[in-house]
Amino acid sequence: MNKPHYYLGIDVGSISVNLVLTGPADEVIFEDYRRVDGHPLHATQAALGALRERIPDAGAIGGVGVTGSGRHLAGAALGADVVKNEISAHACAAVRLHPETRTVFEIGGQDSKVTIVRDRVVVDFAMNLICAAGTGSFLDSQAKRLNISIENLSAQAVKSRQPTGIAGRCTVFAESDMIHKQQTGHRQDDIVMGLCLAMARNFLSNVCVGKEILPPIVFQGGVSANLGMRRAFEEILQCELIIPRYNMVMGAYGAALLAKRAAPATSRFRGYAVCDHAIETRAFTCRDCSNDCEIIEIIDNRSVIGRSGGRCRKWESTPDRPQ
Amino acid sequence: MTGLAIQPWGNYSLALAASVECLRVTPWTQRATTPESLRLGVEASPEFACLSFKACTGHFIKASMEGVKYGVMVNSRGTCRLRYYREMQQKILKERGLDMYIFGLGYDGFKPPLIRYFDPDLIPFLKCCARAQQKTLTIDTLEREAWRVRAIECCPGDTTRVLNEALTDLDRARTVPQIRAFARGIKQRFEQVPLQHDRPPLRVGLLGEATLLRDRYLNHNLEEILGGLGVEVRNFFLLGDEMRTIFRIGLFSPNSRWRLKRLARPYLRHLVGGHAMDSVAHTLRCAREGYDGVIHVGPAGCMPEVGVRPILRRISRDMNFPVLECSFDEHTSHVGMVTRLEAFVDVLRQRQSRR
Repeated sequence: MNKPHYYLGIDVGSISVNLVLTGPADEVIFEDYRRVDGHPLHATQAALGALRERIPDAGAIGGVGVTGSGRHLAGAALGADVVKNEISAHACAAVRLHPETRTVFEIGGQDSKVTIVRDRVVVDFAMNLICAAGTGSFLDSQAKRLNISIENLSAQAVKSRQPTGIAGRCTVFAESDMIHKQQTGHRQDDIVMGLCLAMARNFLSNVCVGKEILPPIVFQGGVSANLGMRRAFEEILQCELIIPRYNMVMGAYGAALLAKRAAPATSRFRGYAVCDHAIETRAFTCRDCSNDCEIIEIIDNRSVIGRSGGRCRKWESTPDRPQ
Repeated sequence: MTGLAIQPWGNYSLALAASVECLRVTPWTQRATTPESLRLGVEASPEFACLSFKACTGHFIKASMEGVKYGVMVNSRGTCRLRYYREMQQKILKERGLDMYIFGLGYDGFKPPLIRYFDPDLIPFLKCCARAQQKTLTIDTLEREAWRVRAIECCPGDTTRVLNEALTDLDRARTVPQIRAFARGIKQRFEQVPLQHDRPPLRVGLLGEATLLRDRYLNHNLEEILGGLGVEVRNFFLLGDEMRTIFRIGLFSPNSRWRLKRLARPYLRHLVGGHAMDSVAHTLRCAREGYDGVIHVGPAGCMPEVGVRPILRRISRDMNFPVLECSFDEHTSHVGMVTRLEAFVDVLRQRQSRR
């Protein structure tokens, strides 16, 4: 009997789409990290296409888990067995790799989260509200203003000897403060490290407020690749951070683990054919109540395979509901 | 007939509308804030006013644009900045060249100004009050039933549909006996909803600021989302209970001010405005009564509710009881809210399976 033992996890985030295929011992066999660039579905399809080249037999995939802010769209398009929020997915991945962890920092493109874990169970979490100052986008835009690549920013930050104090509350004020510091003659690597410190402080004082931050701390998400941010957290918290092996794709890894845990008898995965289909979306406004939600229909080959966008959940649950 | 715009208060708007019929006016209200009135309100309001203010202001502007000449707005003492909201809204309307007079509900003499102005006859007035009271209590019952059924419905959306149909029918009921007859049929109505019993529902208390608790547009359909995740909510703002508190009826009922004060005493000894003390008391009550968690909702920058958040965190730590804080404003992202709620429910499920 050829039992499928691979599990697919996809994290459709605001900045990147990550895809992970796990093997029998929960090890990552294949991973793909690519930027969304405005088309989450296309990026997902492309990532899946890359996987097809590696593992051509879709039957080997026992289940699919999706997570991230675009999870509903991707879940419908791919036929996912598990659609999970990213907080739980990230925590699941962190606990699997580092069971002793008590705090998980996850900083991605547009949101940052802290998850408090005790005895391998999530007990509390917090997520940034309406401010992007503690996220990857903040660093991205500051790097653009300094006219350096984000990789360069990371490399420069660790070289700093005397980090500059920078107001990190919001991108606009950070910029004016940064320009001022440039004009007074601060070195660029000090400024860059100052930015990382400001961002780490912002994260700790806004997102982590009132939470009991205890080591070991796992740091993951796109921003964890940034050496300056690692250094900043380690300096402020005075403890070493654990950067997990798959730090860039932990959400997807967690989704794959959750798909495995759910262990569907037969996966709802629609196969690799999905990457060749021209999946389209169509919008209409639901007039059933005063909310006037805009419902997005996902259409594959002229049939509606899923809906998202409603507030009351009735559209999502019934893809076959006539209009 | 003159129109009278009534502050929107979720489904209770129906009952409030019934209460002004004896004033010989046509009530103008909405069961939830609409995107349009919120947009109007956000444009007209100071940026740091709370979401409730913006929504309510937008509601009056919309009403005024539709030719309504009068409005009525709560402005009682001992609340929060709400006390000045009537004045603020009156000014905003005037500045925008809209001709509407907003009555306050507070007392400045023997009779509230609204009653003094329209001067209804005593008997119809009393009848009307009885009707409104009966409707309020009936809506309480409807809400309670919906919370219970929604957590275990098979097909998401069924309960909300039944609830909406019921509210439409209730709106048509004209006399107290009619409303009573309607109330007797509530259980039967909800029996239509097919149920599933494969997972025990979680019990979560919703508490915090009243408008946010009641207005399903402002709170992003919180009750529906949680219901869909298999959570039986208990929303601690029920107008029926609240009226008893306001009119000091049932001093010994579990929701009386006196009881809540005593409950909150170990953590909060003073009134800090709004429903903040209730939030503390109800959190303690939920923790003791074996709820799985509470969700504290409030508009961003709500002074009383934000003020008690550190206390709620303390209770959460002391009693090992999950509390999720949700602040809402016009920029709140729906996806972010759903993510938080799902993660919170995951936490609660894990705790449930460990017990």
